Amino acid sequence: MSQDGKTRTIEEINQKIKKGDAQVLTAEEMKKLVESSSVEVAFKEVDVVTTGTFGAMCSSGALVNLGHSDPPIKIDRAWINDVEVCHPGAAVDLFIGATNMSEKHNYDYGGGHVISDLVAGKEVELRATGVGTDCYPRTSVKTTITKDDLNQFMLLNFRNCYQRYNCAVNSSDEVIYTYMSKLLPRLRNATYSGAGELNPLMNDPNYETIGLGTRIFLGGGQGYVIGEGTQHSPKSLNGTLMVKGDAKQMSPEFLQGASFTKYGTSMYVGLGIPIPMLNIGLAKKTAIRDSEILTDIVDYSAPRRDRPKFGQVSYRDLKSGSITINGKKVRVSSLSSLKMAKKVSSTLKEWIEEGTFTLTAPIERLPTNTVCRAMRQTEEIPFVVSVMHPAVTCTEDEDIRAIATRIVTKSVNHIVVIDEAGKLKGIVTSWDITRAMAEGKKALADIETHNVFTAKPDEPLEVASKRLAQHNISALPVIDIERKVLGIITSEDVAKLLGRRN
Amino acid sequence: MGRILIRFSEEQVSEPIASQIIIEYKVPMAILSAHINNKGGEILVEVPDTMQEQVVEAFRKRGVTTMVPKLIEVDSEKCFSCGTCIALCPVEAIKTDKDHTVQFDKEKCLGSTCSICVDACPARAIKSVKANGNENRDKKS
Repeated sequence: MSQDGKTRTIEEINQKIKKGDAQVLTAEEMKKLVESSSVEVAFKEVDVVTTGTFGAMCSSGALVNLGHSDPPIKIDRAWINDVEVCHPGAAVDLFIGATNMSEKHNYDYGGGHVISDLVAGKEVELRATGVGTDCYPRTSVKTTITKDDLNQFMLLNFRNCYQRYNCAVNSSDEVIYTYMSKLLPRLRNATYSGAGELNPLMNDPNYETIGLGTRIFLGGGQGYVIGEGTQHSPKSLNGTLMVKGDAKQMSPEFLQGASFTKYGTSMYVGLGIPIPMLNIGLAKKTAIRDSEILTDIVDYSAPRRDRPKFGQVSYRDLKSGSITINGKKVRVSSLSSLKMAKKVSSTLKEWIEEGTFTLTAPIERLPTNTVCRAMRQTEEIPFVVSVMHPAVTCTEDEDIRAIATRIVTKSVNHIVVIDEAGKLKGIVTSWDITRAMAEGKKALADIETHNVFTAKPDEPLEVASKRLAQHNISALPVIDIERKVLGIITSEDVAKLLGRRN
Repeated sequence: MGRILIRFSEEQVSEPIASQIIIEYKVPMAILSAHINNKGGEILVEVPDTMQEQVVEAFRKRGVTTMVPKLIEVDSEKCFSCGTCIALCPVEAIKTDKDHTVQFDKEKCLGSTCSICVDACPARAIKSVKANGNENRDKKS
């Protein structure tokens, strides 16, 4: 502590750590201390605050060096436990991406599981092929390996530790499977991710102490921040980190393979960062509570980049187990583990107290003003609205003969049945009319289809086209959120447009 | 309370078998889940423990397949207590305790007839064990 008691340095803290008298609190304990005393007291008493998070972090992976076989091979393609791994560099360097899926077990096993199995000391099967060169003549290799056989086994995660994340819901009529897990129809559940007030970046949002070279808890071992993560957007409180660490020293408890049905595989990563209490401002920042951290409730049923939102919600509400959307109570559950996040922060606290973990000052600050931009697209894709045309309609009280006449005069195959308000009631096709004539039916109610598959105007045409094929139908009425009929698209429209593009 | 999974064939489904048994044995029967149409299907019911055996026998006499449903099995070694399953459960059988460990209430769980949580588990720690039709008979013999 400086003479005026207003600052302390990392060197001073490290000396206390070495002597065994550094005062370390977890982020959870720090918040309680600030609330029960004051920021001034907490700053005076506490040297380090430990944070933690444990969640699915898809942009994770491991770099391995296998050593050379005899005769040597320049690997072209490789698989570990039937998961294809990437060969981005020289002969025997491989990158195991967490999201690569097993060719045999799909969603049940992937790169994240391979990394976790290797970390656990398990033997894995390696298969590789090469083209065969003068210097690397071998064309295939098959062997089993453990982490002890690898020259390097380095965890290299290019986007970890998201500062906060969306709360996900599904307003459609069908279950959807997403990276935010299984979302039940009509807002019957919600999911969220992140540790809220325990998240490392939430406790140092200006990146005063977290920067290039910061030593961290990573996967049960020690690692380092090596830069900002991809899509790092600190301005909108969506910061991310790029990290690395020696995976041989890590623990499978804090690195676990994960499966998201009908989405893919991933890896849960335990990551914790010590925040040194260098000044009172930092102490104040580590007092942030879940109630102050807001996130958007996002409708994942919209197949677009900018999805509709149902307002905002705090992490305190999310952690309570239910939130309110449009006046309705919706149960919400976490994808990340709060239990494990706390274990990360308390384990890091123990390490510092034991003197086995000292702090580092960043050698370079991370950017604090970047934002994540959208992809530049040189080719626009068509949406439903671009091919939709006015629907020929009828009401339920009309005579079948009148409808038959309309089919002929308007030269269409589909008549959309609407009510007085223009809302969708059903659909009738020329085939339905033909059958009604053959069977002598007179009432529209006998032949009308009520359970109608529909499209929304802002859906990509490809998604609507898939729906046509999936249900073996030839048209979709286009409706708005109140089920008002805006138009119709037919398989001919789709074929014309998609066909023209090829 | 005891649970019985009752499976009706296409022929049986139009008969008011469950109603007849409820009236004849004066058994209060709570329907927990039902997946049934004119092609047959199954219902999961709950009856008082003291009447469970009697009710099973009554259905079997009428040629209906009955089973004692097995529950969901949770591998606590694999579970890392994320809690993804919690909000999916229709009967609130999954909760977290004080230290945020996910806990299954086997009494409340609808078992393999529901299984809504099984494919949502990122850790693949939840298994749906299909009901065993011979279990009750084995117990009796």
